[in-house]
Amino acid sequence: MAKYILKRFLEMLLTIWVIATLTFVLMHAIPGSPFNTSNGKSINAVAIKNLEAHYHLDQPLPVQYLIYLKSIITFNYGPSIRQPTQTVNDLIGQGFPVSFELGMWTLIVAIISGIALGVIAALKHNGIIDYLAITIAVLGISIPNFVLATLLIQEFAVNLEWLPVGTWQGVSYMVLPVIALATGPMAIIARLIRSSMLEVLNQDYIRVAEAKGLSPVLIVFKHALRNALLPVVTVVGTLAAGILTGTFVIEKIFAIPGMGKYFVDSINSRDYPVIMGTTVFYSTVLIILLFFVDIIYGWLDPRIKLH
Amino acid sequence: MKKWFSRVLFVSLSLLLVFAFSGCTARPSASSGKSVLKLNNGSEPTTFNPAVAFDSYSLNPLNNLLEGLTRLDKTNNPKPAMAQSWTVSKDQKTYTFHIRQDAKWTNGDPVTAKDFVYAWRQLLNPKTASPAAFLGYIVQGAEAYNAGKGPASGVMVTATGSKTLVVKLRAAQSYFTNLISNPAFFPVDAKVAQKNPNWFANAKTFVGNGPFKLTSWKHNASMVFTKNNTYWDSKSVKLDQIDWAMVNNPDTEYQMYKTGQLDSSGVPADLSTKLFQSGKVKVAPQGGTFFISMNVKQAPFQNINIRKAFAYAVDNKQITDYVLKQKNVPAYGFVSPGFKDPSSQDFRAHNGDLYKYDPTQAKSLLKKGMQEAGYKTLPKITLTYSTDPQNQAICEAIQAMLKKNLGVSVGLANMEWNVYQSQQKAGKFQLSKGSFLADFADPIDYLLNFQTGNQMNSMQWSNKQYDQLTTEASMEANNTKRYNEMYQAEKLLINQMPLFPVYFYNQAYLLNPKVSGIVYHPVGYMELKWATKVN
Repeated sequence: MAKYILKRFLEMLLTIWVIATLTFVLMHAIPGSPFNTSNGKSINAVAIKNLEAHYHLDQPLPVQYLIYLKSIITFNYGPSIRQPTQTVNDLIGQGFPVSFELGMWTLIVAIISGIALGVIAALKHNGIIDYLAITIAVLGISIPNFVLATLLIQEFAVNLEWLPVGTWQGVSYMVLPVIALATGPMAIIARLIRSSMLEVLNQDYIRVAEAKGLSPVLIVFKHALRNALLPVVTVVGTLAAGILTGTFVIEKIFAIPGMGKYFVDSINSRDYPVIMGTTVFYSTVLIILLFFVDIIYGWLDPRIKLH
Repeated sequence: MKKWFSRVLFVSLSLLLVFAFSGCTARPSASSGKSVLKLNNGSEPTTFNPAVAFDSYSLNPLNNLLEGLTRLDKTNNPKPAMAQSWTVSKDQKTYTFHIRQDAKWTNGDPVTAKDFVYAWRQLLNPKTASPAAFLGYIVQGAEAYNAGKGPASGVMVTATGSKTLVVKLRAAQSYFTNLISNPAFFPVDAKVAQKNPNWFANAKTFVGNGPFKLTSWKHNASMVFTKNNTYWDSKSVKLDQIDWAMVNNPDTEYQMYKTGQLDSSGVPADLSTKLFQSGKVKVAPQGGTFFISMNVKQAPFQNINIRKAFAYAVDNKQITDYVLKQKNVPAYGFVSPGFKDPSSQDFRAHNGDLYKYDPTQAKSLLKKGMQEAGYKTLPKITLTYSTDPQNQAICEAIQAMLKKNLGVSVGLANMEWNVYQSQQKAGKFQLSKGSFLADFADPIDYLLNFQTGNQMNSMQWSNKQYDQLTTEASMEANNTKRYNEMYQAEKLLINQMPLFPVYFYNQAYLLNPKVSGIVYHPVGYMELKWATKVN
């Protein structure tokens, strides 16, 4: 086990280095400059020279690459070019907790409601409730979250005025974005649970339990659902990764001050330190998440050996 | 089984209810008689360091936290602010400013002449790498210092007393008192800045001298300004508080406005036509011009008659009325309205329309030009613009007009704005969308762009007479003579037609009817000093 973890750890380092290097190469391959302004104002030549010197952009690329590798190792990417009073670490420190909170609530809601919907569908197999649950699930998968988000805002914030449109100031501000984000994953989980529940419910040991006269609640929760949950664990890791990284559009629509916007904005404004910082940070988070899923999976199902 | 089902249903429903109820209680409660304005800044300010800030995200808020020697009044004229009065030498090159005795920083320090000297040197220091530094070049010795060719002491801004500031200009220019209302010339509490070079990064350490003070600043999320009681003119300030959001999605901003989360909003593109028709949109002029640049180094635009033919074939009024539909003024000159010459006549009114839409003349000019250049058919022409639905609509309209009026097929190409800017500066485009927003309120700011080799001169045009006229105007002390030179320069520019103007920019916005007194300067930043909101 220890050997496996060490091996995986070294692989992770290698992966991060490859991602970091690719990001560096791609970033410098796209034309444009961090000192172009979107509002048509032109910065004069002296200022651009001064700015380039300030951010080491006047150095040859190999030297910049070394500076960059050093910044990864020391976790110090320096100040953002677009917001020079903030370091990249500041931006991550402000944005990540918000994205994390949104992502966690989304996961919790998606898992609970997904399991509930899946179990109901399986128990009422081929009944009206099953069709309804599956219709909801198919809709959830096929409606993109930004369309759902816009509809939710229009209905619950603008028309009914139950909830605020946007920003991030408390529980009421979380409801709509969490629903918008959770619906897709919820649908995926519901479908998985439904099919694995159907499989499990036909097993002999369930029939034995029924014959023994156990209460239906006990059968479903203690015997059936437990085994039906396995495939869900597999997808939750990937879903968590998707939710943590895929929040950009939702964060933008609901004006949530999370990390998502730095991905896109930093590329638009060629904010090199932020592009590099956020990419390396997120790839690290994802790789660690996937690593944990592997470990947990092996622990849940002893048939899978970690080598 | 039924029991089980109802339990799950109960739990899910109660979860939903908890969410919904917490929603109701968390709604902002009615204000307690305080006058609070809720605005959207669109994004996190780039920086509140007045020496470095050079975009509206930073300068719209900063304009209300700090104050320079002068401040623009409601009619866009500079009025005494930190400076109570000033005298000008005979040659109009030396200004002596007398700073108010009651001018104070929010920490209680008096505002002194030294604070200005410190701030202006920061602006010009090459290490600051300020994009706004060029605004200070009007001061003697400033350009040399900024380019690393002269000492800081060579910048002729000196404190001759604690409240007396003397500025020597390299050339007498009547717009100087207007220019110094720009945030680049705001003072900085030197005592604070020397102790903490990052004093402007957080609300706790920020020290201002403007109508409002920075009370809280959650980076990338929100800011709160409250009325600054130590401000010398605080009796004119009616608002108690300004809450700033940072929402950069125009649709979300609009919906927040609709539901009362904001008092003002921009106009989202999809709803623009509808909202303008409803009459709810307010419009303020903006000093700047949308134009089409014709690269004189690329065929067929080396020929002046072909350039003119293209300009005359485009109906700017049709573009503003039927494509933009945002009450913009069609442009037939480059300098936007709003600049008065010494006889109090508007620059634009004096020079008037320098050409007009004339498809018949356009056709004959094209014929003539093609003969001169020896073309049987025109080379392939591409009109390039930065990716944006509005740019696309305008360029498609131009494409259609050129086809209809000249029979010329023009291809369209679009590019991400950052790539576009780099390519345009490098003179790579044949025909391209150009835009200019004024940095300071004088026609010379518009005209200097097209001097030989200027970065904005994407048409790679070069004209000795034009260079001479504009250089002379930027050095001329006699304002009448200066305006005459600028009038001639603009006529020459439009006569040579390396570009054709399309329309003048404006600022369109929606405003809560309870709010009044916000001033949108054509050149300058949002002014909230006189804003009021009735509860």
